[in-house]
Amino acid sequence: MRRFCVFVLVIACCAVNGVRAAEASVLFESLRRKVLSVHDYTAEVKMNINVTYMRIPQLGGTLYYKAPDKMRLERHGGLSILPKKNINLTLSNLIPGGNVTVIEVGEATIGNKKVRVLKVIPEDEKSDIILTKIWVDEKDLVALRTETTTRNDGTVTMDLEYATYTAYCLPDKVTIYMDLKDYKLPKGVTMDYNDQPAPPKTTDKKNQKGTIKITYLKYNINTGISDSFFSKPEKK
Amino acid sequence: MIQLLRIELYKIFKRPRTYISFGIVTAITTVIQVAMLSDGKSFLGFALQGINEQFDIHGNILNGYLVAYIILQSLLIHIPLLVALVAGDMLAGEANLGTLRLLLTRPVSRSQLVLVKFFASFLYTVLLIIWLAVVALFLSLLLFGKGDMINLKSDAFVMLLQGDVMWRYAAAFLFAILAMTTIAAMSLLLSAFADNSIGPIISTMGIVVVLTILSNLELPLFNLIKPYLFTTHMIGWKGFFDDPVPYAAIARSSIILVVYTVVFISATIVYFNKKDIRS
Amino acid sequence: MAPILEVEHLSKSFKTFKAVDDLSFAIRRGEVYGFLGQNGAGKSTTMRMALGLIFPDSGRICINGSEFNNSRRHLLRSIGAIIERPDMYGYLSGWENLKIFAALSGSSIPAARLHEVLDIVGLKGREKDRVSAYSQGMKQRLGIAIAMAHQPDLLILDEPTNGLDPQGIAEMRALIISLSKDHGKTIMISSHLLYEIEQVATNMLIIHKGKKISEGPVQQLLNPDDTLTEVAIVPDDSITAQLTVSAWAKYVERTGPGLLVFRMNPAHTPALNKWLVDAGAQVQSISSKHSFETYFLNITSDTTAAHRAI
Repeated sequence: MRRFCVFVLVIACCAVNGVRAAEASVLFESLRRKVLSVHDYTAEVKMNINVTYMRIPQLGGTLYYKAPDKMRLERHGGLSILPKKNINLTLSNLIPGGNVTVIEVGEATIGNKKVRVLKVIPEDEKSDIILTKIWVDEKDLVALRTETTTRNDGTVTMDLEYATYTAYCLPDKVTIYMDLKDYKLPKGVTMDYNDQPAPPKTTDKKNQKGTIKITYLKYNINTGISDSFFSKPEKK
Repeated sequence: MIQLLRIELYKIFKRPRTYISFGIVTAITTVIQVAMLSDGKSFLGFALQGINEQFDIHGNILNGYLVAYIILQSLLIHIPLLVALVAGDMLAGEANLGTLRLLLTRPVSRSQLVLVKFFASFLYTVLLIIWLAVVALFLSLLLFGKGDMINLKSDAFVMLLQGDVMWRYAAAFLFAILAMTTIAAMSLLLSAFADNSIGPIISTMGIVVVLTILSNLELPLFNLIKPYLFTTHMIGWKGFFDDPVPYAAIARSSIILVVYTVVFISATIVYFNKKDIRS
Repeated sequence: MAPILEVEHLSKSFKTFKAVDDLSFAIRRGEVYGFLGQNGAGKSTTMRMALGLIFPDSGRICINGSEFNNSRRHLLRSIGAIIERPDMYGYLSGWENLKIFAALSGSSIPAARLHEVLDIVGLKGREKDRVSAYSQGMKQRLGIAIAMAHQPDLLILDEPTNGLDPQGIAEMRALIISLSKDHGKTIMISSHLLYEIEQVATNMLIIHKGKKISEGPVQQLLNPDDTLTEVAIVPDDSITAQLTVSAWAKYVERTGPGLLVFRMNPAHTPALNKWLVDAGAQVQSISSKHSFETYFLNITSDTTAAHRAI
């Protein structure tokens, strides 16, 4: 059914705006090429995890990334906390790989920049990504926002801000919005001190949004990090 | 009065029973530490289940700060017994021993005697908590190392950076001293009523246990009285491990504990001044 | 000069039990004042009230002429006491106990004085031992050392011979006499045994069920002329008849079949015996007992006899 819908959509789009579609594909492909040109990087980061049931201070550390799916946060003796699908924190993973269908859905403004909005649908049925919506700044060839619907992890939205590393499509600031499940421990286990202000309750319990803000201070790009680095135990 | 206090402290620390408490604290702490050394990881896995579903946490989670918190969590509910062991014995023990009548045939004011006994119990409590800090916190830090501290609450996961933890422990131990001083005051009052020390010790424990249950029961009826029970406020030390620290609540708890302490001591003085010494 | 301890109309009840009932007495300087009564008669309660341990329901206690309630702490400096058992801190040594209580006496007592009192009570050399290892007698003596270390005018000793062996009792008795004679202490001592009071006291008060039964100098209360001599004979009416007209008639207390009771100085007993034998009586036994002892035994075993005249 999904395939049929996609097919109908694609046909419809093509019929109406065949030229635009071809342009959109080119735009997406060049963006993807730019993103994938970064094989690995090391970056000093500051991370703010903002989840209703988590009270975590700003975490400073070094973030290691290696394409396609390795990521690690080193906190120099401190604890590292990353979302389970931490790879979703990078742009490269929120953009589908392989053969895709790209549809341009219009234009928008983010900040004061005009962007083109693309819908990207992977053709590989096994891909975890069902659909990605990308807000592309055509001038700098960077994605300013993505909205990725995944098979297993709901929708992940990412806002990106660029400055120094625009050439690599590496953001200085990223805000990731993700769906989270509720969390509750039995009170008897924790014996809470009751007199504290209750955390602000979200109305929609099932669809709590968490945000993670990462500020990248400095990148070291394509230094060639070995795979084994990501599997060795943390230094205490 | 200073002389009287010196004598009280001399008596307390000359008595073997006093050191039992320090031994018990050391023993329980060590047992928990050994258990954490061997099984801590699986214990954590269980406690962190809810978080681990969605987040990957790496690093020295089971560090000295967390272990110390686990120890305090399980031990502080039992410290009242150890405080009662000394404070509950203060007047009743002397009555039982028969030394109270000898003491009171001396030109000593009964009010002063109560105050001195309270102050001696307080100093003992302070030493006990300091000892607890040494074995629970510093020994744990030696055994498990430092690290960022996580604190699991029923509705929240709190993480504190390691540089941000020590002052919280200092504040928490100060608060624990206040809470245990309230227990000491209550024990002393019960001690004035009794002529043997078992009664006040057991009554203190009984009251603490019953009120703690009431404080933790989620029933509308008890919710009404909860804010007035001192047991509700005794765990205020935990507030220091929250972020942000609920200072207003902690201040309110502290005031309530101080009020309880003053009431207990005043009641002891009033009652003891009228008491016929028949032991 | 005001009595060292004066008690007026003192009463104390515990719930429905009247422990002390309108009791009045006075102890003068230099006296050894015996407080005699069976257990539960109110001796300890009275002594505790005199020390401020128990608060009287009514009545007045004065020490050296001052009302006790008004200046309890000041007046307690001039009193030393042992109440019932001499309980101390068993986990401390005798010396440590002595030091602790001396420090609380309200005056600073030099170590030399503490050694002196240990010497007086005969504990020299044992003061470093833990009190828990002391015998009852040693504890009593340590109690007295504690009571007298601060040179009090009045010593209140509640049953100081309780729990002692005969030798201990003898030693304690000698110590009390010495405290009075050699150290000039005024002593209030209680006991449920007449002969103990008799041997040390100059004055005596009998208390029963909280009430004073009698009071006076021991010499007067224990006048030898009041000794009762019981003679058991084979019943013979002629002897009784001869007796009523003899010189012994004035001593006859009562007669019965086979029993003659005389109230007289026991010094007359041999002469009485000779007269009886000469009169033809077959004497089976003669026994002497002071009337006061008989009386005391009566009230302690039979409460209805309490108000019978001495």
